Amino acid sequence: MTSDPRAFLAVDQGAATTSAALIGRLAHRWRVIGSLATPAPGDVDAIGTELVRRVHAADPDLADGLGLTIAGAPAGIAELASDLPRLVARSAPARTLLAMAVSDRALEPLATAARKTGWRTRGASLDGRDPLQLTAAILDRDVDVILVGAGDPPGADERRQLDELGAVVAGAVARRPELTVILAGAMADQLARIEPGGAERGGEILLGPPATAGDPPGDPLQRLLDDVRGGPDDPRRAAGRITAALADVLDRRIELIEIGFDGGLRATASPGVEGGEGTSQVSIVADAALVPPDPDDVTVDRVLAWATISLDRHRLRDRLRELRLWPWSGIAGDGARLRLAAARAALGVLIDATPDQSALPAPDLVVIAGGAFAAAPGPAVALALADVVRRPAAVAIAQDHARLLGALGVIPDPIERRQALADLVDDVLAPLGSVVIPAGIRAGASAGRLTIHAGTGASDSDLVPGGLELVDLPPGEVATAEFAFRDSVRLGARGRRFAVDVAGGLGGLLVDLRDVPLRLPDRPERRRELLDAWQESLWVTRDR
Amino acid sequence: MGDARPMTATARAGGNGATSRPHGRGLDLVARRSLLSDVAEVGFRLAPGDRPLVAAGDAIVAGTTIAERVRDPHLVDVPAAAADPDARSGDRWSSVGRPLARVRRGNETEIGELIYEHGGRWRLAVGEHLEPIDCPVAGVVREIRPGIGIRVRAEGRALPGVEALGDPTNGRLSLGSDRGDIRYGRLRSTSLDVGLAGTILVIGSRVDAEALTRARAMGVRGVVVSGLAGKERRDFLASEARQRASLHRLPPFAVLILDGVIRRPIAGPIAAVLEALAGSTVAISVDPPALVFDAPKVRVDPPPAEHVRVRSGEHAGEEGRWAGLAGIRRFAGGTFLEAGWVVFGDDPPRPVPLADLERFV
Repeated sequence: MTSDPRAFLAVDQGAATTSAALIGRLAHRWRVIGSLATPAPGDVDAIGTELVRRVHAADPDLADGLGLTIAGAPAGIAELASDLPRLVARSAPARTLLAMAVSDRALEPLATAARKTGWRTRGASLDGRDPLQLTAAILDRDVDVILVGAGDPPGADERRQLDELGAVVAGAVARRPELTVILAGAMADQLARIEPGGAERGGEILLGPPATAGDPPGDPLQRLLDDVRGGPDDPRRAAGRITAALADVLDRRIELIEIGFDGGLRATASPGVEGGEGTSQVSIVADAALVPPDPDDVTVDRVLAWATISLDRHRLRDRLRELRLWPWSGIAGDGARLRLAAARAALGVLIDATPDQSALPAPDLVVIAGGAFAAAPGPAVALALADVVRRPAAVAIAQDHARLLGALGVIPDPIERRQALADLVDDVLAPLGSVVIPAGIRAGASAGRLTIHAGTGASDSDLVPGGLELVDLPPGEVATAEFAFRDSVRLGARGRRFAVDVAGGLGGLLVDLRDVPLRLPDRPERRRELLDAWQESLWVTRDR
Repeated sequence: MGDARPMTATARAGGNGATSRPHGRGLDLVARRSLLSDVAEVGFRLAPGDRPLVAAGDAIVAGTTIAERVRDPHLVDVPAAAADPDARSGDRWSSVGRPLARVRRGNETEIGELIYEHGGRWRLAVGEHLEPIDCPVAGVVREIRPGIGIRVRAEGRALPGVEALGDPTNGRLSLGSDRGDIRYGRLRSTSLDVGLAGTILVIGSRVDAEALTRARAMGVRGVVVSGLAGKERRDFLASEARQRASLHRLPPFAVLILDGVIRRPIAGPIAAVLEALAGSTVAISVDPPALVFDAPKVRVDPPPAEHVRVRSGEHAGEEGRWAGLAGIRRFAGGTFLEAGWVVFGDDPPRPVPLADLERFV
């Protein structure tokens, strides 16, 4: 970096997408000038060159103001782009962890901790399994880390076989010196057996806390597993930091939800009160990937439940396998809707895997990120979230359209990170709108009345049970929605009359009067028709 | 995609109604795909108990048996005193010359692999029924890791695929009965006969599990296909599992999938390589999935730099010439995507989503 850069590239090198945003300093603050994404592994130099070229084509004066003055095109543009300072976030590659314990009971919390920290998790215990199978499981080259755990002190069902499990692990680990081994709880007593003196190892042997230790239970082990999984520039590892910074900058409760190629992320953060530290909680779930590496029947069923295109199971599985192989291809046509159906299914997995975060107070703002949502129109993305996250509340929804949060999250200095985010937050978050989901609405002709007080005046409409009400509220506009329900409902609190401040966006205001949780018809044709009817008005640009 | 149009109004160029002028810029943004790699390292998985028969550094010829797979591995115990004091997990163990070697379970165990030591006894992985693991390529054994795998640095070059099913194999490359159909062809089970025994067949775009099963029964060693549907893949794997379980196994058979799942023709540059290799002995490697060949005289000219292929989408399989970036454009389904101009044949340039394109390097 030069001492006073006026532009830089923020690069996010993900598993499926390489994206870069050109950030420039204008009027004493950082602004997003442009962004571009290509399938991974993309050529960052080429992306940077194209971004700089577009700035020159659109506004040469702006380019000069950012110090992007060309000596001689086109070679000059490429040189200029390659000289730009870069802030790079690199997603850690998906890795597999094998959790092991004496019994299935002891295995469960270990596997849960691993599943919440982004590991592709396998499990094996001595319960009814041949030690030869356990050895083969450890020797599988797809396994990168093994987590062997026991309670501390070990439970009655564990004590008798701890030694044998230690012997099995020691025997297999001796053949794989590159393997990282984590001994949790009482398994730490087996360290001498697993790491005999003088043995040369490439992989680390780490001692960790028991899987149920800490408050909340498992938190210390999850922190350790998170450290082992991601490097310092892994954007998912930085999700807690950037979500906390966002909560601090906006002074609102934030939830960041990302569905990506190798997993899903859910980060929640609240701003500090009276100068205190804010709080954040992060879960990274590998099973919540857009499409798992080998989509099984369960995955196909999940996606089929949200699909609006008519496909039999075999063809859907083929499309999903193809999506896994080439995650960015085939988007045009019905590909975007298939991706959004897969994203809904993955979102469901993410929500099911994080019940503790669902139990937190509803956030003020939900930020959507990840390639799964990149090709869909903003309003359809907002509906996808409302379909799956059935929380009786009013929330604003925004999208990290330029994939910048990951890159900003890896800025190591918290003050710099906060400052950069404060400058860029309006450019980073594309407002999709607000969603209001009241729960407990009874069937009938009318559930009540809705009055919207906006800058342009007031509008009044009827609330139809089971329906979706879309109110046009453009980005940047703030309104007050007054609900007068016929019966008592839950919307944060229980009551009949509510006044909610709502923010506009690409999708406006979505008043969702459907069931909580959402009930869909069992018959596939009827379900498809219903889903299609709900989405029809939101894919505003779809062909007719 | 047929109704693609720009998101923003742009100046019209010339009198043909084109919305912007195609140019050659932006090719670097198109995904690259390796046509050939110079170095091929082929892997063979081993399970605990399997017996490597070669040593690191050994030079081997194609067809060498490099290991024996134990079909019925199980554990037996021997006293720790029956093993060398410095014995380690993964070492081979034999009862020959060891009077203390008394096996607790099983009968007449003579040789096995040390797995772990516990309670003053070593546990051994042993088995009675063995089957050979043959290396289909010539090369040098680079690494042997008992219970994990063997890696062989193969001589020659490799044409990578996306997946390979079955066991590594080799044979004479055959383009099938209809050479003109190499890219688009379909293998029907009725078109197979024993005259194809020992060959690796190039099938254009489609094959079903029945044809694969019949091909194996006819002595065909492998199949190269552009795409394999999930149902055919599942049926073939089930057939393969039954074959593994039978006592009298047929020679190894593999399916190399070049592109993926949906039906699309074999890419032109790849088809050119395969045509050049017709009649040569080639091998299918499962790890990594690739066609490996040692044919230094076969010259492969890379396609022109601006040659691009539509990997998926409405025009999947078509190939053309890159004519520059088209910017963000609207495509069918109401999606807005970065696109590039592609010239197909003599047609005017058409916008295609960047993400659907690939180029061979």
